[in-house]
Amino acid sequence: MGTSAVIMLLIGAVGLWGTLTFAVWNFLRRSAAESKDGTGQP
Amino acid sequence: MAGGDPVAEPREQWGTRLGFIMAAVGSAIGLGNIWRYPYVVYDNGGGAFLIPYFIAIATAAVPVLILEYSLGHKYRHAAPFAFRRVRRKAEWLGWFQIGISLIIMTYYVVILGWVLSYFYYSFGSRWGDDPNAFFFGSYLGTTDSFWSVGGIQWKVLLSVAVAWALTYLILRRGVRRGIELAAKILIPTLVVMILAIVIRGLTLPGAASGLNVLLTPDFGALLDAQVWVAAYGQVFFSFSIGFAVMIVYASYLPRRSDLSNSAVIVGMSNSGFEFLAALGVFSVLGFLATQQGTGVTEVVESGVGLAFVAFPQIINEMPGLNSLFGALFFGALLFAGLTSAVSIMECAVAGVREKFRLSRTTAINITCGITALLSMIYVTRGGLYYLDVVDRFVNNFGLILAGLAEVILIAWIARQLGPLQAHINRDSYLRVGWWWTISLMVITPALLSVMAAINIYQEITNRYEDYPLSGLLVMGWGVVGLTLVLAFVLQRLRRHEELPETIGG
Repeated sequence: MGTSAVIMLLIGAVGLWGTLTFAVWNFLRRSAAESKDGTGQP
Repeated sequence: MAGGDPVAEPREQWGTRLGFIMAAVGSAIGLGNIWRYPYVVYDNGGGAFLIPYFIAIATAAVPVLILEYSLGHKYRHAAPFAFRRVRRKAEWLGWFQIGISLIIMTYYVVILGWVLSYFYYSFGSRWGDDPNAFFFGSYLGTTDSFWSVGGIQWKVLLSVAVAWALTYLILRRGVRRGIELAAKILIPTLVVMILAIVIRGLTLPGAASGLNVLLTPDFGALLDAQVWVAAYGQVFFSFSIGFAVMIVYASYLPRRSDLSNSAVIVGMSNSGFEFLAALGVFSVLGFLATQQGTGVTEVVESGVGLAFVAFPQIINEMPGLNSLFGALFFGALLFAGLTSAVSIMECAVAGVREKFRLSRTTAINITCGITALLSMIYVTRGGLYYLDVVDRFVNNFGLILAGLAEVILIAWIARQLGPLQAHINRDSYLRVGWWWTISLMVITPALLSVMAAINIYQEITNRYEDYPLSGLLVMGWGVVGLTLVLAFVLQRLRRHEELPETIGG
């Protein structure tokens, strides 16, 4: 694969899957905090 | 009141927030993520397309997704009554969105039927050495001219009946035990299947040349307005925006819910999935080109041609485990399509149920029954022509009009962005602010208006696929126009009745 194609692959992967990972991490962190809190509410 | 007492039925709700996210991801991820997106990237600057694509996600798709979640969640109704709560005379917009969704469903379920058939055919590559002749000839029996209906294709009808049965059974089991459970099973399985396709694809000879064609950036393309329109078009179609689906799905959330982070998860799952699918599709297209001793650009296809002609060719050429690869590909299409089909029907079922105070079962029977009857036109030998025209007009005009009317209504006519922003920020981790307001007041309406103008200009100046004008008027403009008229008729029905707080609430 050409260098520019590899760079775009990395940009796509980090941009899309990185943002997704960040959002899922937020979701899990809040879910854990809510269950610890015992209210089940945000 | 017909068909039971809806008030006695408790309002349905997702079992878990994860269940809602899975169902919403299942709605967003559909056939287009696998067979449309890779071609759009390739055709609009390759890797450079990612720049307008990211910008479109941030400035239009995610903001509108958050808007639809807040509408459904705040008003706790399906689209027609949610819009009626915003403004009394805006109920038509919800019906128009549902109508457009149902029109899409009439042919979407037929494509699911084809996928089911090909899932079966992939065991032993029953399409033979010439998949093109098999698909258009033996399987669809496509007629020579547009208005030559040609009678029912029974093997297509059989598989479409199975697709309808699967959709119906999931809907009948309800929101939690049907839609949510199906999504929790099908979506993770779908991701595993696509991963398997990508890994297999990347290990095939020629994969690198396919990925080069897909990802090598042509930054000059960024100066072309069409590329930006394609990016915004892609994210709008792909995120299930303007379908009325996300409004009703959000209405099933608990009263205290994080809406904006859920929208980011759903949006990025959808986009992350289609990017993964593009890698898989182009790596195997690179393999096909290598096997045929030709360039990748010679074998690139999208849509029906990619799934039912190019992929069978690829499966024929595979060095081993051909049937397994075929089953993985058509199984992935089936799972992606089925969760989307269920979501489309659910938005209609919820709307009909609320409007006519019906039980869930009666509403499902009526909406599925009518839509199934309408889908029979695509089971005929001329069905492919009608599918092609309806798909083009519904996507290019119906969905754009539905999305444009939605943002103009909320942002400019009813001026509801402030109250909705407060509703979202009450419980959301990611707070929406000026970027959300600007996206919905300026960027999204402007882009949708430009897209509508370009599409209308192209439609007037170039007759689509050289189909007869009568065909385009009836199956294209006629279908979109009739849907709009029916939306206003439905708004007028029972218009003096008080709006229920929420069905079953």
